[in-house]
Amino acid sequence: MNRRAETVAKVAVPLRALVHRFAFLFLILAAFAIMLLGKAETFVVERVRSSVVDVVAPAMDALSQPISTVTEGVDRIGNFFSVYEDNARLREQNARLLEWQNAALALSAENSTFRKMLNYIPERGARFAAARVIGDSGGVFVRSVLINAGSLADIEKGDAVINGDGLIGRVAETGSKSARILLITDLNSRIPVVAEKSRIRAILAGDNSRQAKLSFLPPNARLEPGDRIVTSGHGGVFPAGLPVGRIASVSDGTIRVQGFADFDRLEYVRILTSFPGETAGQIIPSSVRRPAR
Amino acid sequence: MVVSAFRRLDRSARLLAPFLISAALVMLAALPVKIPGYGQIAFNVGLMTVFYWAIYRPDLMPAVAAFCLGLWQDILVGSPVGLYALILLLANWAIVSQRTFFQGKSFGVIWFCFALVTLAAAILAWLVVSVLNTSVIDPMPGLFQALLTIGVFPFTAWLLARAQHALIRPIDANA
Repeated sequence: MNRRAETVAKVAVPLRALVHRFAFLFLILAAFAIMLLGKAETFVVERVRSSVVDVVAPAMDALSQPISTVTEGVDRIGNFFSVYEDNARLREQNARLLEWQNAALALSAENSTFRKMLNYIPERGARFAAARVIGDSGGVFVRSVLINAGSLADIEKGDAVINGDGLIGRVAETGSKSARILLITDLNSRIPVVAEKSRIRAILAGDNSRQAKLSFLPPNARLEPGDRIVTSGHGGVFPAGLPVGRIASVSDGTIRVQGFADFDRLEYVRILTSFPGETAGQIIPSSVRRPAR
Repeated sequence: MVVSAFRRLDRSARLLAPFLISAALVMLAALPVKIPGYGQIAFNVGLMTVFYWAIYRPDLMPAVAAFCLGLWQDILVGSPVGLYALILLLANWAIVSQRTFFQGKSFGVIWFCFALVTLAAAILAWLVVSVLNTSVIDPMPGLFQALLTIGVFPFTAWLLARAQHALIRPIDANA
């Protein structure tokens, strides 16, 4: 027994010293290798990441509940002080919205008459999944959030994510019960959009700042602060017409868009799991998808 | 026999405590806090814990542990996987190699060194991410994060010192 321990020690001690000496170097190389792998073979790293997040998602889900309760409580106290101003503002807004409602009802009636006249075949409805945001740090270099639903709720990579205000981003990675959402402000986010009134097309490109910018605009495109920007549906990944944001500033060729959604206070989001005309991430020319109007 | 097995289990659990506490803190820091702009500059918890343990109990925070903690942070936070693994590993190595310097130094000196390490880490992270994205990204959020992390360090160090006192001191006394 003792002799055996000795022989083990004879082999183990120098081996241990060797491992110690090279462990640091090996780990450095491993870190670089993983980073390169994440860049080249995104799929592998995403799979590993989403399965780990799947395991901790229930814990994060549970832990994030008390935090949101506290923030809600603080909000409620804050709301209490502004109740009079809010009330006056909401009355005024309500009056305005009633006018809009009338206009919308009239238009919808008109629309249905036109549809009947054209023998228009209605499209299938879109399908949604709802989820709660359970992690939002995102860090310095990425704008992303974690949600507590994944492929079990039919969520797929590339799906559009919205809340009551507008577009939030797209699904970047899915586990079975969790998913990571890349926000529209992230450096790697590119979304085909169109200005609602002028119908000028562009790509909304995030750069990690609070406001994404419009790129690939046609030359001498005239856009002004306040113009609404919606998704164009080109490429077939997102449906057309999801509200994205408003042009915040136009200065020497850089047009910045302020999203409608408040990315600092995301709590519940909706994931568009399927919509009419979805082409599962295929990029096809717009002329094929949209016949001439 | 049973008692000694239990004691051994207790001892290994206590020796694992620095790593487990650090991992738990990293997860807590990733939870959504609805403070405007906080998500972008959320302080670098992994760096604080690795720095603390590397100074006060380097035997309990070996390079492998720092590496794993970095991977854990990358996975939860969403940064490029391997980025914080590299940074925490280098920070761990830098501090452990200067161990003799830190012995008996006041907290002010340690805090100052932490500030240097944090700024160096922020610059390195910015460089690596810029190269990975092949574009120069905005360095300001990284700088703010570094400043916030430096500001919060004394509190975290106090917290970790309490944990060290409660969990690891007893087995040191027994040994």
